[in-house]
Amino acid sequence: MTSSPFEVLGVPALFALDEAELEKRHRDLSKTLHPDRYAGRPSSERREALNRAISVNEAFRRLRDPILRAEALLSELGREVSETNQPKPEPALLMQVMEQREALSLARRGGDRGRIESIAAQASGRAEDAAERMADAFSEDPIPVELVLKLLGELRYLRRLKEEAGAALDEL
Amino acid sequence: MTMLLDIFDPKAAPRAIGIDLGTTNSIVAYVRDGAPTALTTCDGAPLLPSVVHYGSNGAVLVGRAAKAQLTRDPGRTIASVKRFMGRDAKDPETARLGAHKFAIPKNDAEAKSVRFDVGRAVTPVEVSAEILKSLRQSAVDQLRSVGGAVITVPAYFDDAQRQATKDAGRLAGLEVLRLLNEPTAAALAYGLDQKQNGLFAVYDLGGGTFDITILRLEDGVFQVKSSGGDSALGGDDMDRAIAEGLLEQMGATGQSAPEVVALALSAARELKHALTNAPEASIELPAKGDTTIQAKLTRAQLDALIAPLLERTGKACRRALRDAGIDAAALDGVILVGGSTRVPRVQAYVAELFGKPPRCELDPELVVAYGAALQADLLTQGDGEVLLLDVLPLSLGVETMGGGVDKILPRNTTIPTGARATFTTYADNQTGFELHVVQGERELATDCRSLARFSLRGIPPLPAGMARLEVELNVDENNLLKVSARETTTGISQEIAVQPSYGLTDDDVERMLIEALDHGEEDLQRRRLVEAKVEGERLVLATAKGLAADADLLNAAERSAVEAALASLKGAVASAKSASLVQAAIDTLDQVTHDWAGRRMNRAVAAAISGKSLSAIEQSVEHAAGVDAHVARHRGEAP
Repeated sequence: MTSSPFEVLGVPALFALDEAELEKRHRDLSKTLHPDRYAGRPSSERREALNRAISVNEAFRRLRDPILRAEALLSELGREVSETNQPKPEPALLMQVMEQREALSLARRGGDRGRIESIAAQASGRAEDAAERMADAFSEDPIPVELVLKLLGELRYLRRLKEEAGAALDEL
Repeated sequence: MTMLLDIFDPKAAPRAIGIDLGTTNSIVAYVRDGAPTALTTCDGAPLLPSVVHYGSNGAVLVGRAAKAQLTRDPGRTIASVKRFMGRDAKDPETARLGAHKFAIPKNDAEAKSVRFDVGRAVTPVEVSAEILKSLRQSAVDQLRSVGGAVITVPAYFDDAQRQATKDAGRLAGLEVLRLLNEPTAAALAYGLDQKQNGLFAVYDLGGGTFDITILRLEDGVFQVKSSGGDSALGGDDMDRAIAEGLLEQMGATGQSAPEVVALALSAARELKHALTNAPEASIELPAKGDTTIQAKLTRAQLDALIAPLLERTGKACRRALRDAGIDAAALDGVILVGGSTRVPRVQAYVAELFGKPPRCELDPELVVAYGAALQADLLTQGDGEVLLLDVLPLSLGVETMGGGVDKILPRNTTIPTGARATFTTYADNQTGFELHVVQGERELATDCRSLARFSLRGIPPLPAGMARLEVELNVDENNLLKVSARETTTGISQEIAVQPSYGLTDDDVERMLIEALDHGEEDLQRRRLVEAKVEGERLVLATAKGLAADADLLNAAERSAVEAALASLKGAVASAKSASLVQAAIDTLDQVTHDWAGRRMNRAVAAAISGKSLSAIEQSVEHAAGVDAHVARHRGEAP
């Protein structure tokens, strides 16, 4: 899990990865390494295959997710970031998020499925937009690390908002 | 009882089987000439009722004969045992309407599992093992030699329920090749039958469990995107809802005798089945004061009774779609699985929910067993072109200081998977650390399923936060968990294999097997020898194949070591009189092939990455550049 997920999957270290290609690579490697392919083989070989399949799946999970993918790219640049050591968000973003949260809790109390779904859809749309700006930032040379961190923070807030909307829908 | 031995007819090639261990019925199937085929059970039909009767004379009945005892001798007859798998004595499931009697646990060890009182105390694992033994015997009778079994479980089964199922298989003397999720099995049967790529939902409503799985089929890979469900929701709950009304009509109030409850439940099932093809149905039932009543049920009444149950399935479906990040409209098809999907209202509900008529070309009661048989065949004869990629159904986490949960592996992660998390001590000079691994989506650890609880001792005394504890969770292809923990700061690393809070150890299984056999110890030794030889033969073949393909990855010395180990394993398989001799030869071969195996895997990975897919990478780079250019144009800059 310490090795680069890009290396594990043999894809270029880019933010703008083609999802269909990524999935295809994951399928191809799974066909090679999944424990089912090693049924009836010596136990050490099975263990080895299991460990490799785990790291392939782990790399796939990280690269498929824009937040974890950005973290992996920053890590390649020698910047280890996670939720706990990330810079403070900008006040404007905080305001927006607070407003959205309020709207969500209102809709939650009122049992308004349509409203909750629209908040979730908005959050998805804005996350896609932020991911596009992220791709853009990562394609610059040198990479504007501060901008990337800011966008990362935005993605995290939007993710949490979406999760809260999901939880609200589960409650209905 | 010599049934454990006759699996191994030395003259017949062992055949792998697939078993659908269902709440209501169980099925065993195998692949004949490429097509999955259900075997006939002891009842003379493919479906074996999952009912076990423990007679007062010690005789055990399984199937239709046991089902006949449901209303006559309900206290000694266990139906729907699947709903109790992996559940402890305090589980709410034990308090629901039913005719079972439970044994009061005398100590903590006994309280870890529900135990039925059938004159003696039996666990759900033992009851399930009786069903599996019967199926295995049927397979042995018809195939002469059974090689190993794929057993299906609901996708939404947690680790404890899966472990219990695997234990039942081992207790029945089966080599459990794999636990396979039921919806994935059904998708495999459909996918290989229809040869169609796309995005599918599998709606699986069985006797006691509900699963929804969203998966994509492409290039022969069945990739599960998300799954969800309820491991205590199914046809049984429809029966209960009907039976409650029947009990009222019969004038039974308060706690009814098990015989009365069993009668009402069986009448409820009959009415439900009759309503599949008729708008209304009725049945004669005894009532208060030696009278009888004609209980009637219409389809509209049934629809109203099951509406809340269907709403629960709908909720799980909407969440699964959300987790997969798709709309129902994106689905290429919806597949119906499970006997309860025969209820007309269920089919209509699914059609409304997904906005398209569901498919049920394959028998919804057999399709899971078909899929299990296909997977058993793939595991033993497959060419690697078809693969099932399943997911973790429920998040795995570790309890935090405040009783919350630190989620380490989120639900719907592709398995096999693993993750590490680091914890630090919270008090000065703390020398012990309690770890509690839980599974579930709730925020508080007490609301999740407790999987393992253990403590790490002997941490050197250090200031708070200085000692670091690394916990590793690994989930294998069967969705079974392994936990290990290590103290890392001081360089003193402690590996702990965690004994889960439930489940049987290898020793437990062995002891129970010996107890169940007339010449226990002796029979077990003989069986071991045969098993070791089968395993040895398999390795001889696999190694010979490896030499044919990848001998160039061995230097001369390594090659002669491999060949020598191979020759001695062949010798052991041919003439060894004890399992340990064969095992020793297997271990030696394992050792001398270890590095070579790693190199072979590297070669396979390189082939998967390069070759035809190299151009694909270049394309994806180009595509990425295309996006950049597009964004640049958007901002009014020259690309």
